[in-house]
Amino acid sequence: MKKQINLTVNGKAYSHEVEPRTLLVHYLRDTLRLTGTHVGCDTSSCGSCTILMDGQAVKCCSLLAVQADGANITTIEGLAENGTLHPLQEGFREEHGLQCGFCTPGMIMTAADLLSNNADPSEEEIRHALEGNFCRCTGYHNIVKSIQYAANKINKKEVVS
Amino acid sequence: MKIEGDYLLKASPATLWEKLLHTETLAKITPGVKHLEETAPGQFIATSEIKIGPVQGSFKGDLSIKDKKEPEGFTLVLSQKSKIGNATAEVKLNIIPESAEETKVKYEGKAKLSGVLARTGQRVIGGVVKTLAKQFFKALEAELAKGTSDVEVSPTEASPPPSPEADTPPA
Amino acid sequence: MTKMIGKSVKRVEDKRFITGKGQYTDDIILPNMVYAHFVRSPYAHAKILSVDTAEALAHPGVIAVYTGADVAEVNGVPCGWQVNFKSGETMKEPKHPLLVVNKARHAGDAVAVVIAESKEAARDAVDLVEVDYEELDAVVDPKKAAEDGAPLVHEDAPNNICFDWELGNPKEEVDAAIAGSAHVTTLEFANQRVIPNAIEPRSYIGDYDVAHDKYTLYTSTQNPHLIRLLLCAFVLGIPEHKVRVVSKDVGGGFGSKIFHYAEEALVTWIAKELGRPVKWTADRSEAFLTDAHGRDHVTKAEMGFDEEGNITGLRIKTYAAMGGYLSTFAPAVPTYLHGTLLQGLYTTPKIHVDVVATFTHTCAVDAYRGAGRPEATYLLERMLDTAALEMGMDPAELRFKNFIPAFNGVDEEGYVTNVALQYDSGNYHPVLQRALEMVGYEDFRKEQAAARENGKLLGIGFSTYIEACGIAPSAVVGALGARAGLFEVSQVRVQPTGMVSVYTGAHSHGQGHETTFAQVVADKFGIPLEHVDIVHGDSDSVAFGMGTYGSRSLAVGGSALVKSIEKVIEKGTKIAAHVLEAAEDDLEFADGKWTVKGTDKSIGFGDVSLTAYVPHNYPAGLEPGLDFSSFYDPTNFTYPFGAHIAIVEVDKDTGKVSLKRFIAVDDVGNVINPMIVDGQIHGGVVQGVGQAMFEQAHYDEDGQLITGSYMDYAMPRADDIPMIETDRTTTPCPHNPLGVKGAGEAGAIGSTPAVVNAVMDALSPFGVKNLSMPLTSESVWRAMNS
Repeated sequence: MKKQINLTVNGKAYSHEVEPRTLLVHYLRDTLRLTGTHVGCDTSSCGSCTILMDGQAVKCCSLLAVQADGANITTIEGLAENGTLHPLQEGFREEHGLQCGFCTPGMIMTAADLLSNNADPSEEEIRHALEGNFCRCTGYHNIVKSIQYAANKINKKEVVS
Repeated sequence: MKIEGDYLLKASPATLWEKLLHTETLAKITPGVKHLEETAPGQFIATSEIKIGPVQGSFKGDLSIKDKKEPEGFTLVLSQKSKIGNATAEVKLNIIPESAEETKVKYEGKAKLSGVLARTGQRVIGGVVKTLAKQFFKALEAELAKGTSDVEVSPTEASPPPSPEADTPPA
Repeated sequence: MTKMIGKSVKRVEDKRFITGKGQYTDDIILPNMVYAHFVRSPYAHAKILSVDTAEALAHPGVIAVYTGADVAEVNGVPCGWQVNFKSGETMKEPKHPLLVVNKARHAGDAVAVVIAESKEAARDAVDLVEVDYEELDAVVDPKKAAEDGAPLVHEDAPNNICFDWELGNPKEEVDAAIAGSAHVTTLEFANQRVIPNAIEPRSYIGDYDVAHDKYTLYTSTQNPHLIRLLLCAFVLGIPEHKVRVVSKDVGGGFGSKIFHYAEEALVTWIAKELGRPVKWTADRSEAFLTDAHGRDHVTKAEMGFDEEGNITGLRIKTYAAMGGYLSTFAPAVPTYLHGTLLQGLYTTPKIHVDVVATFTHTCAVDAYRGAGRPEATYLLERMLDTAALEMGMDPAELRFKNFIPAFNGVDEEGYVTNVALQYDSGNYHPVLQRALEMVGYEDFRKEQAAARENGKLLGIGFSTYIEACGIAPSAVVGALGARAGLFEVSQVRVQPTGMVSVYTGAHSHGQGHETTFAQVVADKFGIPLEHVDIVHGDSDSVAFGMGTYGSRSLAVGGSALVKSIEKVIEKGTKIAAHVLEAAEDDLEFADGKWTVKGTDKSIGFGDVSLTAYVPHNYPAGLEPGLDFSSFYDPTNFTYPFGAHIAIVEVDKDTGKVSLKRFIAVDDVGNVINPMIVDGQIHGGVVQGVGQAMFEQAHYDEDGQLITGSYMDYAMPRADDIPMIETDRTTTPCPHNPLGVKGAGEAGAIGSTPAVVNAVMDALSPFGVKNLSMPLTSESVWRAMNS
């Protein structure tokens, strides 16, 4: 009944036997104990469970673990490199882009996908990209500013190098 | 929730009456019905499988026919239970002669849903009911085209579960 | 040492949240833990004829199934606030059993709970519990519930009336004032039911340690000590010292996590029954069905004016839904948090409010961000803009005309209202004045006129609000029916090396207390912020507390904190005087050290704390240690206020409303961290905008919640909202040591009527005066085309 999956999460290779119906989010949270990825709804509407799968933002509450076989996954825990915060993580702190913190990992992962495709998004593009992520605390105002902060930081770096 | 509509069929009221009150035919033409068993005159136990937009489930429960007035019409009373919620309905069918060849079946009534079915399915249920009704009458039309009333169908061998489009616009 | 109070310090708690290291209740897995899943009534009102658990019990992995009969001996969930009928009779307070015994009273009412080795097994087995229901008629509207012949929610509450209640001037005086008015504005409207929707669903783990006969409840609550009190003293009857309640990180509350829920008591009780930890986490469907909802008032309001536009009187009749059971603070919301706010910012000389609270076959209704005050503000502010339109006056001018004159509450008395409150301090003209400047009012009116010429519908809406928060003096709330005191507790423990651990009874679920409370401590002691640690959310480390709601944390909890800080400084001065061989009066404490005035002789905070714990050279008779607790009970509520302005555009062809600008000028007293206050305002405003434009908990006539998922319940998304333009004025609170008033609810209170008023202004060419929220494209389009 159980199926073998092999995948890379935050740069580390994992191999596990999972029930075919195990959701990817439960595999990440319960088996790998990466609890930074949250479950906020059951209809893939809230975006709290957003992760990067092969570089693309996906809502892992609506994916089966077996669908991630062979995939390369990044969760919020794997975003900082060698202890240095990702510009988005820094941006959320600098611009007060979070309050209760529950939607934050999903917001950051969604924004990471946005910035990898569009290094200098307009406010409208940012808001559009966040359509699939609910935040009930911030009114989105400072989330938008946090992403703008990160975009500025990333772009400046590119100019320098 | 209101259920209403009509359908024009090429048959006499008497033929329609006979078809609609024939257990095996009813089982065969009703979309999703897996099994229909008459327990007493006008009393049935029905099991069906229905997929409605984002929700699907197996239903089981009673179906009865009351206020029979041959060949003008009758009332269908439905009480179905499922893990995704229960459905009850009372629908009055009127068989109205339109011309020498054609008869109209007019139906109107009310349905009540509960549980997930009500919560998540309500949005699309109007469209679903319309689709199911259309499937029902299409199947009835096909039966009528065969022309005889000696339908040789076992109650377990019935139509496949219908799966109307989730994006069927609400009525 | 630079001042820390008033600075936009970046949040201390953010580090764990942005790296995925927050610890919410559902993140916890205890050894040997089992999982609970509930069987919930699909009907709003049904007799339970039988419950058959045999098949579920036989399911692999299932350990137990409990039904109402199994917990019949356990007390039900209590209500924490008592409101009496006008006649003096006690409100109807039907039992709220942990699991339904014989009748389900709302869709989602818990009938049974399955406990299994895994979440999946529990969920599967729920489908195997056979419940035979007899469906009964339901009533969902708070006004219809009181009509003769309406289906009864509780047999012992005739006409479904929980209580009726009135406040204000004698009814005859108000009737006379309105009858003698030159103009009377009348509106009837619903303040629709909304669902709080904290993004973290409720989650609880019950654990029982047989070796120490001790329970631990991990819970996503806004007030761990209150939950412990209710759980121990009212529901399970277990001693408080044998229960630890832990609420670490909580993913938003907005009121819905104040209350004591049956699931909390059940997991705790079952943990002992089974000798294993029990976890339950709501899925979103359950959250929609069972998290206490907000608002749900049906109101008729009449406001009289004289020829100049001065308000002469206000008469209100409101039906307020309580839902199927009384939630913890439900009775307080339409009464003492609503009726008492109907003075608003205005000099209205005569006010009478009449409230009928009814049971309906719906989820319980209780405090939701603002709780009662948004309903009062909506009512007043809709009346003001409507009256201005009817009388041909400018809505801003009408407000200026009726504002209560400024008073500081120090050498000028607080303002005594006609509805039982005394405002602490207020200066209302400047907030509206500033908001008008920010919006560019005169230019906007020109732009609006020009736009109308071109067939474009622009509208501007105003809202000037007041709220009562910093809840509140225990004696006052006790007299009003609260069954608890509403003080707050702090403990400041200076460690030997001068590091400071603060234990607070306030609870942060997004508010940033770990930062703002640390700012206060760092500022007062003159030490680095990193030397301060704020501990909350654990009843075993924090002595006591009343939690966070009603914008009370800083006003009440912060004041308790200041009291402990002062005690530390006072004792530190004694120690410093001894070490410096100086008189206490000759010392001054600043920048983290005690200095003998006029000399360079000083001793630092760390040296004094070390001396307190290594008391070799120490004042005779003084206890060692530097650790103080304080209880602070405020002398009054605090009264923040503000002016909000919305600008909308309505699409003539589709009826779609677009929020173009939102200006919020708030006065929340002194501000500890402007960045955090702005964030609170942004979030509050958008929640209020959500109610105006998108959100509605809709029960059909059978009591089915047909907006029971995010596919049907519309919450504001990022692209529905513009940047929020904020500013502040500062009128300090005169009665607490920090001069703070509270900011958590302000945005949600002020914003809703501003948006609705703006849409009505945009639609004024069509003669549309009143539309029900939410202002969907459909309702706006219909209004324009009828």
